[in-house]
Amino acid sequence: MNHSDTANPLRRRLVAGGAGLLAGAGASALSGTALAQAATVNLPMVNGRRNLVAYPEKRPLIVLTSRPPQLETPFEVFNESLITPNDAFFVRYHNAGIPTSIDADTHVIRIGGSACGKPYDLTMAALRSQFKPIEYLAVNQCSGNSRGNFAPRVTGGQLGNGAMGNARWLGVPLKDVLARAELKTSARQVVFNGLDTALFGGGDFVKSLDIDHAVDGEVMLAYQMNGADIPMLNGYPVKLIVPGYYGTYWIKHLSDIEVVDQTYEGFWMKPAYRIPDNDCACIEPGTVPASTRPIGRFTVRSFITSLQDGARVTAGRQSVVRGIAFDGGQGIREVAFSTDGGQSWRGAKLGADMGRYSFREFTFAFTPERGSHDLRVRAWNRSGQSQPMEALWQPAGYMRNVVESVKVTAV
Amino acid sequence: MNHPAHGKARITFVMAAIAVGIASTAMAAPKTIDLPPDGVQMTPSALPGYAKAQASCVVCHSAEYMLYQPPTAARPYWDAMVKRMKVVFKAPIDDADMPEIIDYLVKTYGNEQPK
Repeated sequence: MNHSDTANPLRRRLVAGGAGLLAGAGASALSGTALAQAATVNLPMVNGRRNLVAYPEKRPLIVLTSRPPQLETPFEVFNESLITPNDAFFVRYHNAGIPTSIDADTHVIRIGGSACGKPYDLTMAALRSQFKPIEYLAVNQCSGNSRGNFAPRVTGGQLGNGAMGNARWLGVPLKDVLARAELKTSARQVVFNGLDTALFGGGDFVKSLDIDHAVDGEVMLAYQMNGADIPMLNGYPVKLIVPGYYGTYWIKHLSDIEVVDQTYEGFWMKPAYRIPDNDCACIEPGTVPASTRPIGRFTVRSFITSLQDGARVTAGRQSVVRGIAFDGGQGIREVAFSTDGGQSWRGAKLGADMGRYSFREFTFAFTPERGSHDLRVRAWNRSGQSQPMEALWQPAGYMRNVVESVKVTAV
Repeated sequence: MNHPAHGKARITFVMAAIAVGIASTAMAAPKTIDLPPDGVQMTPSALPGYAKAQASCVVCHSAEYMLYQPPTAARPYWDAMVKRMKVVFKAPIDDADMPEIIDYLVKTYGNEQPK
């Protein structure tokens, strides 16, 4: 078995599942039935077996749920490029009433609300033609990315580390769109809804931002993702981009914007998507937070992408280990690496700065002696925030950002 | 085209397209997708809640929501989820069916599974 096969068991299974040619050689753990139906992958958690299925406009992704679709990006994609391809980008819906046909020519964003002086309807043509577009790279990450790695386990979507992605978003600042609506001084929050619906009328997915945040000039109504139309399952034809903030605010198929003079408290703002209201957003496992606040910015994270946990490498040969780091918008200042399980640390080399909301590449040289090695990376952002050496815990399983460990064996 | 037909809007549109360096964004037919079928089904069981769960749960969502929970998930979790489906999402679940549905869920997917 060659090196790349060892380092990339997922691709091996995909090949086996897709063509069936290697059924006898490489995929003995899969039954013939499973091979005929779907490739699978085992996420590193108890009960972590998942199907890989190609949804519309998507390559085969890890299926967290079929309906509504929740799809996780296979982790090796993050080693292929710093920008996550549209067909590999994760998908997360909350309700099964998802749009399957949208005519962008007739799609309208209705802008109104109690603190809106001049409500109006915004067409896609007007959005594209009547405003000055902006563009930036920004990571989108699910609040519950890596939830399946919590110890003790928490309930909810049992994701590995693949509910994140980095894309180039093109669109119009929300600030400019709202400027035409003549907001009243009483405006306190902006409430966002999309075309997806709940099947029985309760629990429609609606989110809100404080007014100062909404008009910061960065929050954007995007109509392109990586130079193309946004895939349907990522929010075609227009998606709210809230850089640095968890994906729960990035409303897909954006159709309604209401400026209101009170704090919106629908189900998905309260009690859902809340974190412990303290500095670490964490509590002792098994306890209940004294008070909560809505989830906000990403914590700092870093991942080795070029080596998977359990990989075999060649002893005595230098290789370059590669990875990605990101944070909630300060930008990454430093990444340190350890090859001895965190006992000693050195600085990794940072790649080009692609913007403070983007993945930032890092690399370091690694010449392993024969034996096992515990590789760790730890990032700091420009305001000095970093990652905990021991995982923090919270009941909803959000914001995981522990220093990850990748154990490799040199032979 | 649906955009305003007067000349000024057209010119602005073209200028904007040039300014951001994108090719023609002439809007075409609606984008339409076909979603694949559910990848898993609810786990069969002799428990009376199985049929009721089939009738109540997978109307709105596929069975991975239950199947992939950690096997440590205890009865209060399943109880809270079933009640949330009715109270928050207005799922048409008969109150009288809830105890059997919860019992099926915790014994099939939760921490009361047979060892």
